[in-house]
Amino acid sequence: MSLAEEYPEQIQKIFAKYPPDRKQSAVMPLLHLAQLGKGFVDRHDLVEIADLCGITETDVAEIVGFYTLYHDKPEGKLRIQVCTDIACALRGADEFLAQLCERLGIRPGETTPDGLVMVEAVMCLAACDKAPMFQVQGPDGISYHENMTVEKTLEFIETARKEVK
Amino acid sequence: MTKTVTLTIDDQQVTVPEGTLIVNAAKMVGIDIPVFCYHPKMEPVGMCRQCLVEVGRPAIDRATGQPVLEDGKPKIQFGPKLETACTTPVSEGMVVLTHSEKARAAQKEILEFLLTSHPLDCPVCDKGGECPLQNLTLAYGPAESRFLYSEKHHAEKHVPLGDKIWLDRERCIQCGRCIRFQEIIAGDPVLSFYQRGRDTDIITHSDPPFDSIFSGNTTDICPVGALTTADFRFGARPWEMKAAASICSLCPVGCNLTFNTRREAKAGGKVVIKRAMPRQNEQVNEIWICDRGRFNWHYVEDPSRLTHPLVKKDGKLEKASWSAAIEAAGNQVKGNQVLVVASGRLSNEDLFNLKQLADGLGGEALLYDSLPGGELTTRYGVSAGTNLGDLGAGSAILVAAADLYHEAPIWYLRVKAAAERGANLVIVNPEATRLDKYAKKLVRCGKDEAAAKVRELAAELTAAENLVVFFGRTADRNLAEDCAALLQGREGRANNGLIGVWPRANDQGAWELGYKPVDPSTGSGQALAQAVKGKVVYLAAADPAGDDPQLAEALKGAKAVIVQELFPTKTASLADVVFPAQAFTERDGSYTSGERRVQRFYPATPPLGESRADFAIAAAVAAAAGLEVEGRSALLVMDKLAAAVPAFVGISYRKLAEVTEQWPIVGRGDLYYGGTTYENRQGLGVQLNVSTFKRSNVVRGRAL
Repeated sequence: MSLAEEYPEQIQKIFAKYPPDRKQSAVMPLLHLAQLGKGFVDRHDLVEIADLCGITETDVAEIVGFYTLYHDKPEGKLRIQVCTDIACALRGADEFLAQLCERLGIRPGETTPDGLVMVEAVMCLAACDKAPMFQVQGPDGISYHENMTVEKTLEFIETARKEVK
Repeated sequence: MTKTVTLTIDDQQVTVPEGTLIVNAAKMVGIDIPVFCYHPKMEPVGMCRQCLVEVGRPAIDRATGQPVLEDGKPKIQFGPKLETACTTPVSEGMVVLTHSEKARAAQKEILEFLLTSHPLDCPVCDKGGECPLQNLTLAYGPAESRFLYSEKHHAEKHVPLGDKIWLDRERCIQCGRCIRFQEIIAGDPVLSFYQRGRDTDIITHSDPPFDSIFSGNTTDICPVGALTTADFRFGARPWEMKAAASICSLCPVGCNLTFNTRREAKAGGKVVIKRAMPRQNEQVNEIWICDRGRFNWHYVEDPSRLTHPLVKKDGKLEKASWSAAIEAAGNQVKGNQVLVVASGRLSNEDLFNLKQLADGLGGEALLYDSLPGGELTTRYGVSAGTNLGDLGAGSAILVAAADLYHEAPIWYLRVKAAAERGANLVIVNPEATRLDKYAKKLVRCGKDEAAAKVRELAAELTAAENLVVFFGRTADRNLAEDCAALLQGREGRANNGLIGVWPRANDQGAWELGYKPVDPSTGSGQALAQAVKGKVVYLAAADPAGDDPQLAEALKGAKAVIVQELFPTKTASLADVVFPAQAFTERDGSYTSGERRVQRFYPATPPLGESRADFAIAAAVAAAAGLEVEGRSALLVMDKLAAAVPAFVGISYRKLAEVTEQWPIVGRGDLYYGGTTYENRQGLGVQLNVSTFKRSNVVRGRAL
């Protein structure tokens, strides 16, 4: 299904925010929209967004490539992004990441076999004082989870599993 | 007059126009500042940081606003940091140090950084030998790296970006020149960066991939071996090849080319062409060529080419000696009216001699072409001093019934740039074209309405100071006349005139020499079929029988058929005598471009088999028929031509070979700056003047 068929109202709302001769400004919100359901932007989305915004497919792809919150291939439905920068590392983020991955049976950057969870290390998320922390990118958008333990994280995943499936 | 600024670069005083960038000011006085991302044809971006230099400016006393003096001289205040020479405009009294210890250290370090992500495969890299990164590393770089070899960046090495261009991701230094060229100059934004930092890649998502007729130019300006052409990659090393100046023979733009050749074992020790490269002519193609010109010359080495004369014996064409063939042809034409049918694939010299043959025998010379309006361009065409690069605000350009992107790509490029400089671009065409997005006004209409639409636009267009009008492929006689009418009163004025987007490179030359159209009204085959009946028909570089079965039938009704050709065409198979002609890469000669610029091409490879130049064949046949026609060399034919045809007055091979300094400076071993395009040392050509001799009013039947 095309984006125009799936989200007609949202698309209209997005374009209403920009002047009619600056359609290309809508490219980023449209990419978020495309990612909502499946967690990544596919080739059809690129073509459609390029058409909607009046730019080339290559221009849209460039934006997907540049920003870390856009993804070009299917990975976990929940993308757990653990900050491991220096301040978080001092509060045990590295260890948290290692243990979490061990419990899930994957390595950082991998997705669980059921396709539900993907865990990756990322750069600063601006919550240094509340590490270990991570950001989840999922069907509902983006949420922050601070002062986490491995147990609390696994609980969160279990709850999410029921909701997502 | 533009304001100038005087500054000092490495102890040399330079005066340049205000707004000049330091890197260009230095270039003007022969000082090289290394660059990768900067290119003189594009706005600077300052991405690669290779051009860091020390910049000092006169210190100003804040209280008085006057320069601070030190020992009677202005005190120069150097900034705490280096500046990029490619983004910094010059200013009065500026002092630039490009080779100071500080500048050299920075330049060296940038190279060291670039090389951390660059493979050391120069020995197998196509760019090796003409590579800016290789050259600048030798000149400015470190001999050793402080980085760990094992941490070197690795990426895909053979990525086809399209049919024509290959990408080596590992060699790319992310200068973005290719992306910017496609976006800014070509107007086909089909390349871009993907990911960030060390992972940055060049990608294309267009359909078909890398969808641009200008894609080959990215391999010229790529400062490393990341972009190479499918046609040439792994073909030869740059230092093994010789260079021969030529002119592209595929469309009426007349782009200046250089053919690179070498002798090779694979070809049995013969000299062969390895690649075609652009040659600078800022008034024609600047430093670009289209992919057709770059890749579509291979027909000259097609194995099916004719190598010996053929004479018909008992209904069959058989190999013959030159003397026998000339004699046979001479006997056919002697005492007969000869109908010459030639195409614009031939040079001015060929066409002139063929016309001499026709005129000498009381016959007629026709140009095998379907686009009407040729004689209009000889009167209203653009003339000496015209440069599409001069058009901008205050100029108007009409493109009628033509798709410049596909018919004459470099004109598309030049017209697009003129429109971006503010020229009023108006397009009248039945279909959408890639030029449409730059037009101020678009008129979409069928063939029948086009002339009327052009008349409606007349007031708006003729109000402009300069007016250039292109008409092409689908134009009819009416449209051509209405286009010409717009230019009434502008004859002979530089940057004004009518340009025919002819199907062949030298159609303009044929019109200038007085060739007649096959059929003045429609150009259809019908008229030609009538004309050949019972005549001795002399065809050169034209294959009417192959194009139209009706003409094949008609040629059988001719008294005799003589053919000069590269290939055994359908027309040649019907001939009584067939002469093998030399390709334009095997001989010298000249073409007249649609902008009426006469330009010389030179031989790149030895001729194939026994083939001879078309002008020489025509002269030999003429001699056999008792006429005196010059055929010893193209140069001598041009001398005769210039004496006989008023538009060519004063033109000689020496004149055509004259060169004046061009900007930007390219191809003098400073490949890092302009790319691998060739410097023009063989001639910029001469633009024809509008003939001064009186003619009847060419634009007929209109109140002008």
